[in-house]
Formats: sequence, structure tokens, C-alpha cells
Amino acid sequence: MANYKVVRSLPTIIILIILITLPLYASSYVVFVVAIALLYAMVAAGYDVLLGYTGQLSFCQGAFYGIGAYLSAILTVNYGWSFWLAMPTSVLFVGLVSAIIGYPALRLRGAYFAVTTFFLAHFVYLLFLNEVTLTGGPLGFRGIRPPESIGPLSFESMENGYLLILFSFIFIYILLRKFVNSNVGLILKSIEQDDILADSIGINTAAYKLLSFVISATVAGFAGTMFAHFFRLLHPTTFSWFLSEMVVIITLVGGVGTLIGPVLGAGIVTFILEFLRFAPEIRYIGWAIALIAILMFEPKGLIGLIKRVGRRWKYA
Amino acid sequence: MIDTLVLTQLLNGAILGLIYGLMAIGLTMIWSVTDLPDFSQGGIYIISAYVAYWTITLLNAPYFLALLIGALAGILLSVSFERVVYNRLRPSGVLSCLLAAIALFFLLENIANALWTPKAKIMSVPETEVTLNLFGIVTSYHRIIIFITSVILFIFIHLFIKYTKIGMAIRAVAEDREIAALMGIDTSKVYIATWAFGGALTSVAAILISPLYAVWPGMGTLPLLKALVVVILGGFGSIIGALVGGLILGLIETFGAIYVSAAYQHGFAFIILLLTLSLRPRGLFGRR
Repeated sequence: MANYKVVRSLPTIIILIILITLPLYASSYVVFVVAIALLYAMVAAGYDVLLGYTGQLSFCQGAFYGIGAYLSAILTVNYGWSFWLAMPTSVLFVGLVSAIIGYPALRLRGAYFAVTTFFLAHFVYLLFLNEVTLTGGPLGFRGIRPPESIGPLSFESMENGYLLILFSFIFIYILLRKFVNSNVGLILKSIEQDDILADSIGINTAAYKLLSFVISATVAGFAGTMFAHFFRLLHPTTFSWFLSEMVVIITLVGGVGTLIGPVLGAGIVTFILEFLRFAPEIRYIGWAIALIAILMFEPKGLIGLIKRVGRRWKYA
Repeated sequence: MIDTLVLTQLLNGAILGLIYGLMAIGLTMIWSVTDLPDFSQGGIYIISAYVAYWTITLLNAPYFLALLIGALAGILLSVSFERVVYNRLRPSGVLSCLLAAIALFFLLENIANALWTPKAKIMSVPETEVTLNLFGIVTSYHRIIIFITSVILFIFIHLFIKYTKIGMAIRAVAEDREIAALMGIDTSKVYIATWAFGGALTSVAAILISPLYAVWPGMGTLPLLKALVVVILGGFGSIIGALVGGLILGLIETFGAIYVSAAYQHGFAFIILLLTLSLRPRGLFGRR
């Protein structure tokens, strides 16, 4: 049985080794794209807790990502805070904002929550664009420094910044995995299956929905702070509605309610988007059609497809 | 004596509110019949405005013909979305339909972007761009057309929903789908009618307001969001609520832009949304 376990975890180990050693042989462009994909993977895995495990549709991960990025940038640049202080502060703030927004919207059943989050994404974009004294508005926010070094560990170079993102991603992923496998994860799953039934057996569904919303938001906020200090230039359009849409697409393409699916989805979506950079009009039309096709023909996403093919293999 | 600025803005706010109200009625009907806030109406808003723009610029057609053709395009799109996408996704739940609606919105936005470029177009209607001076209120002929057309439409909608057979069927299905089906109402016909209705209202709203603003691929998002807020503010499924909610939002936006902040003109609706959800979730005229 031990052998079986080793064989099963072999792909993961190989992928991890490739990712860790990536800066040694890949061009800085590839490292950069993979870092962005890892940030998307983080946001999408956090979002999966909300969409896949709790069954709540929201469209504002981009807003939380943006709040995390901007707040951390403002605190470090304008107020001279250390990244290691600004990052947790920003993450806490994002959690607070999500709780304030989620509280009224999640008590109601139906699509109220989705509409509210959709609007939130726009409102936050408006804030980034108009609060010029704080965010730089349409000119963007410049002068962000990389995280301060801890002892001998410096994050000045892009390679080390990449490794910081990679290890944060692994850390967040393990935390999320532990969370969804816990008893709370089971409760969330019961809400996803039937929230009226969950209510009737004494589960405070509104509170658990809020919890999973706050968790998904803080993960997005955390990824946002990482993005700010890795990319070092923030612009409102980066955090427009499209980013939130991307996160939803990534999660669905990968497969909802699996946690690993969205991670896979992030890799594939980022890769294809980079590949289609020469045809910007076509790529978004293609994405929209792909999303509708997935919903209609393979609602379990890539993971569902892999599982189905795997089963066919076993019985063939 | 009231300031003429206030009076002018009162008229502008009311016109904006009527447009929100028109779009909100379509959305609230679809929402109450199938539990789906149909985001794809935002895309229909864009495409029908472009169709009308084309009719005017390429065919040199009069404005009202463009309005009619644009509305037909809207109905066609709306009904085909319901038949091809929502109808098939309905068994897998509202969540999938909502996601598909967002994807359709995204699709239409990008099709507009590819077909007509991101550059904003001006839908010019020379015969209506005449400035009028009504008792000190400076306005254009076109604004009066918007006002009169939408008031006529509201009366028509009210009569349609209240007294026609299909209007009654729509209300019955909104009340309870299963029982309506058991009473012999053909629900799939009702769905088609509702979506046709929604598509028509969205297109009319878009084409009425376009000559005042510009026609561009991103034009659909804000009206869609605001119409959704109006639906929630006015009360789910209520037509009078959509009208009153639209007027309230239109007036708050117009006066807020002058007296509070022009940059956050589009943010007021979000605050209204949060206040409605926390203080009166069933909306002003909602029954639940």
C-alpha cells in the first residue's frame, strides 16, 4: 500500500521539483509567467472554498486581490512600514471588508449575494481610479519595494521573489486542504448540497457562508500583497472586473470543489492566455465560449474529465 | 422660486430613472419567473445599441425604425439564449445558469469589441438634437422623446401584465412554477415570452439613452448593475417597484453628482444596495 501512495504522489513531487528549480534553467519571462500563474492558483483555490465547497457564487476576488495589493503598497511606500507588517495588516483589512460586505448579502438566499459582489468589484475599481492621492489613479502606483530580507534571505532578485510566491502558495494550499478536510469543511459541503436542509438540522448557514467568504477573500488579499511587491507596479485596470471573471473561469475550467482543480486551471488558463497574446480580440471571445461549453458539457471541469478518462482506462 | 438648475436636473434624473426602470422591469420579470438575475441582458444592451447605430448610419434610417430593429435584435438574442443555453442548464441549477449568463455577457461585450473596435461611437440623431427651453428648463427634444416613450411603455407593460392571457401566465409562473404547470400553463412558452419581453425592454432602454451618451463595448456594465440594484430596491418581481426604484436611483445619481461627488456618481447605487439588503431586504414593494 505504501508503494501505491508513493506512485500516486509521484506526479506532485515531480511538478514541485520542476517548479522549485525553475529559475535555474528557465528564462526570466517564463519564471515571471509561472509566478503570476501561482498567484492566480492561490486566489482560485481560495475561491473554490466559496464556490465549490459552499456553493456560493461571487464575482469580486479581483477586488480583494486589488485591495490587498494597494493597501500593502500604500502602507510600505507612503508610511514606510515593513512588508512583513504591512502584509498581515492588509490581509486582516481585506477580511474585515469582506465580512462587512458579506454580512447583509449572505443572510439572503438566491442571487442577491452574486449581484452584490459583482457590484463590489466595480465599486473597488472606481475607488482605485478616483482616489488619486492614495492610489495614483490612472497613472498607476510606482515605487513599491520587494519584501525586506529576513537574515540572509533576500527577496531583491526576481528569482527569490518567485520562490517566496511558490512557498507561500504551497503553504496556503496545505492550509486550505486541511480546512476543507476538517469538520467545518464537511459543514460547508452540506450547505453546498442543500442549504435549507442544513439550516433545518441546526447549522447556522449564514455564519458558515460568511466564514467561507472571508477565507476566500483573505486568501485573495494575501495573493494581492504578494503581487504588489513582486510586480512593483499597480494599475486600476489590473484589478478590474476582468480579473474576477478570470478567477471564476479558472476555477470552473479546473473543476469546482476539488481544490487541486483550480490550481490546474490557473496553470492552463495562464498558459493559453499567454499563448494567445497575439490575438487579443479572439482570446476573450474564445474564453467566453469555452466557459459556456464547459458549463453545458463538462460541468466538473478538467478534473472531471481526467477522472472520467481514468475510469475508462481502468475498466478497458 | 426654485432654481432652474434643480428643475433641469430633476428632469434629467427622472429620465435616467425611467431608463433604469425599463431595464429593471425586464430583469425583475426574468428573475421572478426563473430565479435568475439575467446578466446577459447587459450584453443585449450593448449589441442592440450597436444594431441601432448601424441602422442609422448605414441605412440612414429614421430613429424610430432603428429603435424597432434594435429591439427585434434584442428579442432574438434574448430568446435564443433562453432556448439554447438557459433551458438546457436549468436542470443543473440556478448557479450554472447565472455563470452562463455572465459568460454570455462577457461574450457579447468582446464580440462588440472585435466587430466595432473599442472606440466610442456617437449615435447622432440630428432631428432630435434640438435644444428646447421649457419654462426655464433647458433640455433637448430627445430627452422629451425618452420621457414620453418610456411613460407610454410603462402604461403598456402594466396593462399587458395585468390583463392579457400571457401576462397572467407569466405572473402565475412567477408565483409558483409547479402549480402553474399543473394548471395547464405551458411554462416553456412563458419562459420564451418573458425573455422576449426582457430583451425588448433592455434594447429599448439602451437605444433610447444612447444618443445622449456614446455607444461603446463597455457601455452595458453600469446600466446592468444599476438595473439589478433597482430590482432589489424596488422589490423582487414588482413592476411598480422597478419604476419607483428606478426614479429614486436616477434622482439620487443626478443630484449626488452635483452636490456630493461626480467621481462616485456610479457608486451611489452600491450604497443603496447595501442599505436595502441590510434594512429592507424585500425591497420597497416586495411581498416576501
